[in-house]
Order: sequence, then structure tokens, then C-alpha cells
Amino acid sequence: MADTLSIRRVSATPDAYIPISALRSAGPSYAKLVDIGACIGCKGCEVACKEWNDLGVEPTANFGSYQSHKDLSPKTWLLMRFNEVEVDGNLNWLIKKDACLHCEDPGCLFACPAPGAIVQYTNGIVDFNQENCIGCQYCVTGCPFDIPRFDVHTRKVSKCNMCVDRVEAGLEPACVKTCPTNAISWGSKDDMLALADQKVETLNARGYDNAAVYNPAGVGGTHMMYVVPHGDRLADYSLPSDPTASPTPMTALGFLKRIGAYLMGFGVLGVVGHFLRYGPERLEEHEDHEPRGDTGAAA
Amino acid sequence: MADMADRILHRFNFAERIVHWVVGVTFVLLLATGLAFAYPALFWLTALLGGGPSARVLHPWVGVLFGIGMGFMIAIWIRDMFLSDVDWRWLRAMRAYATRDSANVPPAGKYNAGQKMFFWFQGLLAVVFVVSGVPLWFPEFFGSGLLQWMRLAHYLATLGGGLLLIVHVYLGTIAYPGTARAMIDGTVTARWARHHHPGWHEEQTRP
Ligand code: HEM
Ligand code: SF4
Ligand code: SF4
Repeated sequence: MADTLSIRRVSATPDAYIPISALRSAGPSYAKLVDIGACIGCKGCEVACKEWNDLGVEPTANFGSYQSHKDLSPKTWLLMRFNEVEVDGNLNWLIKKDACLHCEDPGCLFACPAPGAIVQYTNGIVDFNQENCIGCQYCVTGCPFDIPRFDVHTRKVSKCNMCVDRVEAGLEPACVKTCPTNAISWGSKDDMLALADQKVETLNARGYDNAAVYNPAGVGGTHMMYVVPHGDRLADYSLPSDPTASPTPMTALGFLKRIGAYLMGFGVLGVVGHFLRYGPERLEEHEDHEPRGDTGAAA
Repeated sequence: MADMADRILHRFNFAERIVHWVVGVTFVLLLATGLAFAYPALFWLTALLGGGPSARVLHPWVGVLFGIGMGFMIAIWIRDMFLSDVDWRWLRAMRAYATRDSANVPPAGKYNAGQKMFFWFQGLLAVVFVVSGVPLWFPEFFGSGLLQWMRLAHYLATLGGGLLLIVHVYLGTIAYPGTARAMIDGTVTARWARHHHPGWHEEQTRP
């Protein structure tokens, strides 16, 4: 288990600069699988997350939903969202365990300008290092799932870190451990994919013809996956159907930055070259010349 | 003739110089810290504003000063910056200007057409900087898609402003000795004026 924290990617750091740790053989790649059909909405996982990560209580009020809080926050990294939707004439709770999905291609990390503020380990966990964060919130812009939350007081962002300290010690994340119905499973990504297929088959057999695994390709797959009973209603679960880690403007920006670096470099070389060719324009040398052009025409 | 050539002409008054240097200093700070946010290899430039987190806090405030400075700059100089017929001819003779072929450069007034174009481009870029910078300052009030396009716009303005600045600083300092003092104590020699801005020189020396 010693190499679970080998580094795969670091924000604002070319891969070539990542030190030896990356040279170590990649350790196992983990994943969390959330079987939404097996969730009874007890929110034990929310409590376990608060406790393990020492996030403290955030007062809330009844706003007409079974949901505990309205939104994620710097101190609420996990929120069970209860979307009330009518399916075939029946009221359904389409629950979503809203937390970081630990994308294989993390849009947050790609967007971050601060070296070392976001790290992706070879085990798949994407973690924020607040001491390197400059508080620009570009990660919020880059995340297709609207996960990172900015704390206006500390001017740092935070989100679920998959209990990286537990995983490093060979334990499962706190939410997995606490779930009374085993709706959350933990294991290698391959095992979890196999388990997910099994669960989909079971759901199909029970009449959920559209049951599906949520492991979106646009972000290279995720290290928290869902088994969604109503796979045709992703929007009702507040799951984007086509998330991407490299949206058009960001791809264009990356490309332009490359060109821009050359342009600015050549710009400097250009004026240096001009100076070496022509030198300073010494007016004494023009002493005997008439002023240029026909001054009378100057407007 | 020599004493005539060494006569001192007043080119920029105190207010003009203050406005110019507020814009100049703030823009250089913005460019340096902005490039630090854009290029990881330049991240160390955030040290100019006290390191990463403090640069992120101060960059927008320096931007506010820059915006105000640009507002004043446009207000005080816009009258002089419209292109005349000679200026259009000057633009077509840019090559002669760049190769120091003085004889073929149409005579400029107080500003040559290149300086005027620089003024207009910087004015336009200032608008792009401010319009795209405000959402990036307060991202919590804007959607991700919009913010991504704003980052692109902000970067393009940086690139344009950076390239313009390289040329501007070069021409204002080492390329043309005797120019920088115009923005330091506000004066130039009559010889400088006659060579670079013959139209203006004539106005200033007309009895
Ligand atoms: C820090 C570097 C800078 C230096 C050394 C510098 C130098 C100068 C000098 C010597 C002049 C007088 C030119 C003349 O007498 O004809 C000038 C004019 C001017 N400067 Fe700057 N400047 C700097 C930065 C800036 C910046 C950042 C801006 C705007 C964003 C700017 C805008 C202007 C404009 C509009 C003029 C009048 C038109 C022109 O001469 O092109 N300057 N500058
Ligand atoms: S869900 Fe968002 S915050 Fe989590 S790894 Fe993916 S992009 Fe980053
Ligand atoms: S807020 Fe922090 S973690 Fe997010 S992009 Fe900016 S520096 Fe990176």
C-alpha cells in the first residue's frame, strides 16, 4: 500500500517536472461505486464525512425538502440531493450523492494556475492542497460537476478528498464504511466496474430497463461512479449527460497560450534584432539634413 | 543653427506625465502577474505583488487603478489622436519608418500615426480587460461557460497589450534617444522635435 500516494498529475506543473514519485510503478487505481437504487436516504454518509474530516456543523432550516442543506459548501463536502420527480405517475426520490467524482481527467486541475494546489494521485484521488491555492477559483470554472467551494474568509477552495488519509492507510473512505445498506462500495476501479455491471443487470431484471453506470467518458471516467436506476433521466438526478474536462474555450486558451509565448518571445527578439541592426537613431547625424518631408503639410 | 536645435520644447505637462505613469506602472504590474497566472514557468512573478494569494487579491485592484488611469488618458489625449490625411500616408510608409529611411516618412504632427494607433489599440484593450476582468474577479456571480470565454478574452488582451508594450518601450527608450525625457521632465530638444514630429515642431517654434 506504500505507493498509493504516487503522484500522477500536479496543477500548473508539466508532467516532466513531477519528481521521482511518478517514476514509481503506478499503484492500484481505486473507485467508489454508489448504487443509488440501494440508498435509503439516511444521510449517514454525510455525518461520517463531517466527522472524519472534522468539518463541523452547519446550521440549516427546513426548506421543503428531505435534503439536509441546500448546497455544498467549504464545510460540506458531501450532500445527498433529493430530487422529487414523477416517474410513471409515481413520486420518486432521485437521490444523488453530490461530491467530487475524482475525474480521471480533472477539469479543476487543468484549470488551476497555482503549482501544486491540486494533485492527482496514481490511485485516482484528486486532492486540493490549500497551502498552494491562491484563491482564484478557476477550478470552480473548470469542474464540469460544480464541486469545489470557495471559502470567502480563508480564500481557499475545498472539496471531498476521498478520505485520502484513510485510503493511504489501507482503509475505505468514511462514507463507505458507514453506509448501512452497502449502497457505497469501494475497491479497485476494475472490480467496481464489474460490480456495477452486475448491479445494472439486477436492476434490469427488476424492470429498470434504463439502469446505467455513470462513468462519463468526457472526463476520462471517474473514481466515484454511480449506478443510476433511471439512466434515461440523468438531468433529473442533476448529473450532466455530457461533461467534459476540456471545453472549447479552455482548449482554445491552451493553444493560444502556446502561440502567444512564441509571439512575445519573438517580439522581444525582434526589437533586440532591430536595435542591433539600426542602433539608436542619433540626431546629430541628421544635423545637416533638412527636416523630413514637407512640414507645411503636417496637420 | 546649433543653439536653435538645442532649444527646449515642452511636450507633456505634469498631469499628462502622472496619468501616463499610473497607466505604465499599473500595466506592467498587471502584465507580470497576469502572465504569472497564465504560465506556470512565470508563476514566480507573483512575488511582485507579494506571492500567489496576495497577487490574486491585488491584481484586480491594480486593474481598477489602470482602468481609471486609462479613462483619464483617453480623456486628455483623444483630441490629438484622430488620424489626418498625412497619417494615412504615414501608415503606408511604415516600412520606411522601421528602416530609418527618414526621407520617405511623411511628416508627423504631435504624434505620428503609429503612436495614434497604439493609443487606440490600448484603449480598446483596456475595455476588453475591464469587461472580462470583472467576472473573473467575482466568479461566484457568473456561469462557468461565460468565465471560460472571459479567460480567453482576458488572455488575448494580455497578448495584444504585451506585444504593443514591447514595441512602445523600445521606441520610447533605446531606439530614439531623447524621447524618454518627454515622459520624465516633460521636455524634448527642438532638434528631436524637428526630426520626429516636424509638424508639431513647426507649430511650437512659429514666432
Ligand atoms: C513602462 C514602460 C513604458 C515606457 C518606458 C513608456 C514610455 C513612453 C514615452 C517616452 C512616451 C513619449 C513618446 C513621445 O514623446 O512621443 C510615451 C507615450 C505614450 N505612452 Fe508610454 N511608456 C510605457 C508604458 C505605457 C503603457 C503601459 C501605456 C498604455 C497602456 C502607455 C501609453 C502611452 C501612450 C498612449 C503614449 C502617447 C502616444 C505614444 O507616444 O505612443 N505607455 N510612453
Ligand atoms: S468532479 Fe470536479 S472537483 Fe472533482 S475531480 Fe472532477 S473536476 Fe475536479
Ligand atoms: S482556487 Fe486554488 S485550487 Fe482552485 S484553481 Fe485557483 S489556485 Fe487552483
